[in-house]
Amino acid sequence: MAAKEKLICVGCPMGCLVTLTISSNKEVAGITDNKCKQGEKYVLEEYQNPVRTLTATVLTRGSLQPLLSVKTARPIPKTKSLPGAIALAGLKVRPPVKAGDVVISNLAGTGVDVVATGNLLS
Amino acid sequence: MKLQDVDVAVIGGGPAGIAAAIKARETGAQNVVILERAEKMGGLLYQCIHNGFGLFYFNEDLTGPEYAHRFVEKAMDTGVKGLPETMVTGISPERQITAVSKGEGYLSFRPASIVLAMGCREKSRGALGIPGTRPAGIFTAGTAQRFVNVEGFIPGKRIVILGSGDIGMIMARRLTLEGAEVAAVVEMLPYIGGLIRNEVQCLHDFDIPLLLEHTITRIHGEQRIEAVTVARVDDSKRPIAGTERRIECDTLLLSAGLIPENELSLMAGVELDAATGGPTVDETRQTSISGIFAGGNVVHVHDLVDNVSWESELAGESAARSAMGGKGAQGKIKLKAGRNIRYIVPQTISGQNKVTLYMRVNDMEEGVRLKIGNIMSKGLRVVKPSEMLKVELAPEQLEKLKEGTSEIIVDCERRERK
Repeated sequence: MAAKEKLICVGCPMGCLVTLTISSNKEVAGITDNKCKQGEKYVLEEYQNPVRTLTATVLTRGSLQPLLSVKTARPIPKTKSLPGAIALAGLKVRPPVKAGDVVISNLAGTGVDVVATGNLLS
Repeated sequence: MKLQDVDVAVIGGGPAGIAAAIKARETGAQNVVILERAEKMGGLLYQCIHNGFGLFYFNEDLTGPEYAHRFVEKAMDTGVKGLPETMVTGISPERQITAVSKGEGYLSFRPASIVLAMGCREKSRGALGIPGTRPAGIFTAGTAQRFVNVEGFIPGKRIVILGSGDIGMIMARRLTLEGAEVAAVVEMLPYIGGLIRNEVQCLHDFDIPLLLEHTITRIHGEQRIEAVTVARVDDSKRPIAGTERRIECDTLLLSAGLIPENELSLMAGVELDAATGGPTVDETRQTSISGIFAGGNVVHVHDLVDNVSWESELAGESAARSAMGGKGAQGKIKLKAGRNIRYIVPQTISGQNKVTLYMRVNDMEEGVRLKIGNIMSKGLRVVKPSEMLKVELAPEQLEKLKEGTSEIIVDCERRERK
């Protein structure tokens, strides 16, 4: 039996509430209520593989700066945001760190590295 | 007291000020200084650790610190002189600047041109007028952002956010990821105050309750905030009796809008626009005072830093030209806000040069037509107060202007559906 799934498109200020028809084998059988072609592409990706870039801070040791800002080098599955943030909460970094340096690899089993987005001086 | 002659002095070292200073140097001004009250250049971008910056300017998805870093590096490469820990205390209409510096004490500058780039600040509880006790635990969203992202502590464990501006929604996600519980985001309007992307990725992703058409009618707690009362509002935004309910919390964040910071502009005698809260500017970003220019959130509050950078580059370029003896825009045609238009920046144009207009509407509407006098017309599916409109007028469109035009009315008209 076909199921319906609703997703808000974030492609433009319109924010269409797009309806996806999902067939019994979990395939997208139809997309309706979107007002443009880009919306179709967005909701298809958002349904099949919703990903987000996780940004956070990590604690530092040996620096006057209490925190270092970081991000995932690539977007990770949406469901991994919270486990990823929890993994980063336990991390402490020491200077020197330069923007782009890897601070932890394979975050929460995603296979994605976390890199610094700022510099950390001692 | 040393009186320093400089070509261009930029007030504020955030994204606006840095972009203006770089462009002023690139345009040919020799001696360009940025006066910044914080200990480093970059402004609020350093506390905006989330991504989504630079999508238009760099065609890349950057975080705030990364976006800032690129501009700070470029400023150093182009020979901009940055003076951190230097707070401007006054500007005279004759363009004399007084400042206090941590390292050098009292300073005075007489620049050939000035760029105002002081940015904006958040509306506080006082500006919102919420009744109740006055306990600790009430912060603006930006203050909480600094605590969490720069200083390393969390303001509370159970949080209510008033207003659905972008910083508020971003902080809702950030605090959730840091282990706090966001009990509700409360918005008076029937739609969010920020970008749709943030509603989906910050609120929906984490199942954070969004209460549209609600407001806070009371704050409870003696030493520390303990709860807020929320109520539904009617069409005229008044709380509806009988709809009140109590939400327990230990922290309230306010994300209810930003105000351009123009105390220094007023000291200089610069004329402000009541609709934007910033200086009235011409297409070169010159204010009502010759030789004083302005760019970025001090002029009007932007949604995207990319536009702040572009607008401020224009101000920096014009300031450099003016410092080098160039003439500004000739002739003034006033742009007047018509139906469902809150403001237009710049407020005047020459009608001779290609120009980008930035506009905001008063109310959300679907199926509209934006009309710039009779020189341009454009259909838009939807307009929202939270999403700035940006329209470029090309020389061939400006040629349609009749000789002696002194005013152009901009309307956002309802479009008849076919």
